[in-house]
Amino acid sequence: MTAPDALALYPFLRPGADDPDALLTAVTRSTVEKVRQIVTLREQVRQRYGPELDACGYALAAAFRSGARLYAFGNGGSGTDAASVAQLFLAPDPGGRALPATSLTADVALLSALGNDVGFDVVFARQLAVFGRRGDIAVGLSTSGGSTNVLDGFTEARRLGMLTVGLAGSGGGRMAEAGTVDHLFVVPSSSVHRIQEAQTTVYHVLWELVQQALAGPG
Amino acid sequence: MTAPSDLAFARRLPPAEAVAEEAPLIAGAAHEMAARFRAGGRLLAFGTGAGAADAAHLAVEFVHPAVVGARALPAISLVNDGAALTAVTRAHGHGQAFAAQLRMLGRPGDIAVGIGPSPLCRSVRRGLAEAVSGGLLTVALTGTTEPVLPGVRHWFAARTDDPRIAKEIHVTVYHILWELVQVFLDQPAPHSSAREAVR
Repeated sequence: MTAPDALALYPFLRPGADDPDALLTAVTRSTVEKVRQIVTLREQVRQRYGPELDACGYALAAAFRSGARLYAFGNGGSGTDAASVAQLFLAPDPGGRALPATSLTADVALLSALGNDVGFDVVFARQLAVFGRRGDIAVGLSTSGGSTNVLDGFTEARRLGMLTVGLAGSGGGRMAEAGTVDHLFVVPSSSVHRIQEAQTTVYHVLWELVQQALAGPG
Repeated sequence: MTAPSDLAFARRLPPAEAVAEEAPLIAGAAHEMAARFRAGGRLLAFGTGAGAADAAHLAVEFVHPAVVGARALPAISLVNDGAALTAVTRAHGHGQAFAAQLRMLGRPGDIAVGIGPSPLCRSVRRGLAEAVSGGLLTVALTGTTEPVLPGVRHWFAARTDDPRIAKEIHVTVYHILWELVQVFLDQPAPHSSAREAVR
């Protein structure tokens, strides 16, 4: 949040506005507005990608039936989303079917070794080259769609013959142009925060669809 | 016929819209968090499962903000160090995973944020209880049927017990908390440090 943004969003913040109640009122109002934004954004994602989500869920379920492992990757907050994806598939709440999934963001020794010795662009591609097999699943997240290490991960995954699922934001960035992503979900927002929130819903819904598909006849 | 994905999105709508009713709680929590940061406090975040990923997300959000130009603030996730975490749970049991770390790392001026759906993991509840007794500012992000823990200062309950929907709501709430902390810290000191004194 830069100062000009703050003034635009919170008019009570200008110098001399020293009424704390007015300030709390202003930020409360902005919070309500952000809640409205994410609700609207999820609806846009549903309208744009509903059938594609259902298709992706079936494709993932089929891959798991054939013995696939899932590898998830991303940077920063999206790296924690990769961890959430892997955790959800591997260790769901009771009643859920556990499936083989690993986050490529969790091993700090490996990440720092690759980053230090080779470069950060390769941290996911090199791991996929070692772990990935034909028919496995690669799930990459990037709010900009432009993280080089995520894109290079997809390039390697495609080379190996993996099923690739990409979550991006804004206009999809280079991820939308790379031709390496089988199922691409672009959240139409320019806010990193709102994009991450909608992406969380996307991977949760995908997991629910996979669970439903695996519970049905194979 | 309704597509499975349509049903999945429909389930999310009422609890997501209900967050707006909690806006005063969120703003008030951010206000007090900003005061702690201004006075030199740090944020300590913890959770289990998906909540562990949220704790890591919260920490990176404050230390290295996604928004260019925002100030870096000290925040630590208590879930990332496998060596420390397994040693603590080996020595004290799983329920003490965060309480034991908070006893060593937490100071009275710090902020403790525990995250998870209901039922909240025992280790997260004990972490929050330890933070209360240690004088930390405490913030809980949980689900609707979680029994309130006495003494926790800011208790946010997503109005769902679906753990995935609760997490989606928690991500929005901690993003807003982060943003409002930045807003409050942009203010002259009296606003953030002592609201009562201004009156």
